[in-house]
Order: sequence, then structure tokens, then C-alpha cells
Amino acid sequence: MTDPASNLLPATNEDTCGPYFPIYFADPALEDLTRLDPGVVAKASGTPIILRGRVLDRHGVLANGIVMEFWQANAKGVYRTPATEGDEDIDPWFYGYGRMRSGSGVYEFPTIMPGAAEARAANITVTIFSDGINRVVTQVFFDTEDGNENDPVLQAAGDDAPKLIARHDGRTASGAEVYVFDIIMAGDNETPFFDDLES
Amino acid sequence: MAKQGRILGIGPTDNTSDQRTPRQRLRLIPDVARESFVPVVPARYAANPHEWDMTRTAPDRPRAAGVPIEVTGRMRTASGRAVAGALLEVWSANHFGRYRHIEDHSGLQLDENHLGLGRVLTDDTGRYRFWAISPGAYLARPDIGRWRPKHIHMSISGGSSRLITQMYFPGEPNNETDPMAILMGDAFERNLGIPRDAGDADVEEAYDFDIVVGGRNATFFE
Repeated sequence: MTDPASNLLPATNEDTCGPYFPIYFADPALEDLTRLDPGVVAKASGTPIILRGRVLDRHGVLANGIVMEFWQANAKGVYRTPATEGDEDIDPWFYGYGRMRSGSGVYEFPTIMPGAAEARAANITVTIFSDGINRVVTQVFFDTEDGNENDPVLQAAGDDAPKLIARHDGRTASGAEVYVFDIIMAGDNETPFFDDLES
Repeated sequence: MAKQGRILGIGPTDNTSDQRTPRQRLRLIPDVARESFVPVVPARYAANPHEWDMTRTAPDRPRAAGVPIEVTGRMRTASGRAVAGALLEVWSANHFGRYRHIEDHSGLQLDENHLGLGRVLTDDTGRYRFWAISPGAYLARPDIGRWRPKHIHMSISGGSSRLITQMYFPGEPNNETDPMAILMGDAFERNLGIPRDAGDADVEEAYDFDIVVGGRNATFFE
């Protein structure tokens, strides 16, 4: 894995999150990105959505005790990073980083529909940590949004691209459009995951 | 040979690993999308000031049972650049091998002076420091007698990939049978804390644990 001719420092090995990721580290502000904090008058711009689904193991059983992280652009397609500091399209009430722990393996993530970044279709990066595995990461797209057919990540997924597209559920919950996205961690119909160490 | 994504290993004797490890080779990320895979964790989710000392539940409480240790290190990217302002979230079992987590049903002894949770940030040069109780090993698979060796969990937000890792302790008898350590092979050494003199610190043992956050496109946090 490590190129002996490389000058790069060998990376610390990833390891499993284990079953006991601290609930103590949970933060309500990270579990709903439609607002800055519960009770604070500060709403993110854009269309509220709820991304919900199940995370399943090789046997179709819910993967309990998982930690999910989300990362996305704001409604105008701008990621909030050091590189975009001062950009006039930054939304002051939207950071774009979310995290939650699901005890059951079912998740529900209220956020806003991300805008399409340059050369990309609208998407949310999803990282999963759990017992038994190192981190896995992928991106989820939306069947109602434009540009999926030209998105480079969906193209990289090839025939498996449809497995990365969340389905508009046709109903709303608490005024938000609902999208359904199940993640299959292993086995038949496995969700495509990506390698950000080798890429 | 053209570059390929990794195939993740399955930890031997680890049932959860068998159930949850993707079987397909990971896909390579096209260059134009690489940055978008790495979250930038907002600085507002910072540590509370007392959390660097995990040997107590609060500054006005006594020390927990066991051996207090100091862990320090440098955090760098693979290209050697210091990762400043990174968030390090730490959790570990108490002296008896028990986590203060609602899903730890081991029945091992709790310690009223041990929480086992802390958060620190790296400084401008990428250095970090925390105190903890040297964690107990615990029997993870009673059916086959496999123990989890002593370890401290660390989650790192900063650098060019998200990282969750574990620091292990050198010379521990259970290191050799740990499923994830077996997968790491010779590279397991990188995940060992290196004992050093504790100096004037009010602890009994001290370890250096330098962290290199992998990933080749170190765009953020630089």
C-alpha cells in the first residue's frame, strides 16, 4: 500500500470506532443543519429536506451503533472551508458538517438541499464509522436534481451509480421534502464506497 | 500498474467486521471531487477547557483508580505539514476495562471518578496533550477467550482525511491477537504509544504518539 519510493510519511493506521463512540460527544446542532442551534433564530437558506434511511449489514440486518457524518455545500453550492472564507455566497447560518450516532442503524438527517458545486451534481458526503470496520465514505445524490448523468463521482461508480441516488419519497415531513437512501455496507447490492487515501 | 482503490481487510475472529466490511474494491475519487470528500469541522465545536485531563471527571474531583498517564504527540499530514487547530476526541475504558457507555454490558466495574471522555485541539505547531487513566484490557470474545488489548480511541478532524484510530501500548500480550492489529501487520508499530519519561508531570507514565493523517490532497487546513 505504501510506495517505498515515496517521501510521504506513513499514515497512522485507521482503526475501528468500536461500539462505544461517546454519546457524550453528540451535539444537537450537528444533527439538524436547517438551523444553527435549537432555539436560536438562525435558519439556513435553501429548501429543507430530510435524508432518511437504513444502514444494513451483509445479511440485511440493521447496523446498530453507527456514527454517521455528513458534509455538504450550502444552497448555492459553496462549501464552507478556509478557501471560501469571505465568499459572498457563504450562508452565515450554515456550516455543512453534520454528525449523529444511530443506536438502531436507522437514521434521519434534516438539512437543506445542497446546491451543485462547480462541475458537480448536488450531493452530500456520508462517512460511516462503526465497530468492526474502518471508516467508509461515499456521496449521495438526489433523483430530483439536475446533472447526475454528468457527475464525475457517479460516472466513477459506473453501473452502480443508481445505488448512490436518494429517492424523493413524494411526501413531506415537518415541511421538509423527504428523500430515502439506504446504505448496504457489504454483500449483495453493496453501496459503492470511495478511497480518499489512495485517490 | 494503474492505481486502484483498496480492498478493506476483514478482522479475523471479528463477527461485526465480517458483517460490515465492504467486499468490493473502494473506488478512486476523480480529482475534481477529491476535496469534497473531507469535512471541515467548524471551530465552534471545540473542547471544554477541563477535558484534557481525563484522570478526573471534573477539576474538583479526585483521581480515578489506576495509572495516570500523559499522552502527547505531533499531528502532521503525510507531506509533513503540522495540522494546527485539529479536533482530537478521545475515549477509553477505565482501569477495569469498562466504558461508561450505556451499551457496555460487560458488567465490569465502573469507577465513580472516571468518565473516560475528553477533547483537545492541536496547537499552532500541531502538538496535542492529554491525561488519561491507562485503560484496562477486557475480554471481548468470552466464547473464544479473545481479549481486546489496552487501547485509547482517538478521532481526528483535520488534515486531508477523517481519521479514527486507536493508540495501543507496547509489549501487551493481547496485541498479537487483536483482529485490527493483525490486519495492520508490521504497520501496527505506528499505532503504539512510545514510552518516555514523564518529567515533572503529575502522572506515572507518559507516551508519545505522533499522528500522521493520511490522504494525498492536503488541501484543507493548510
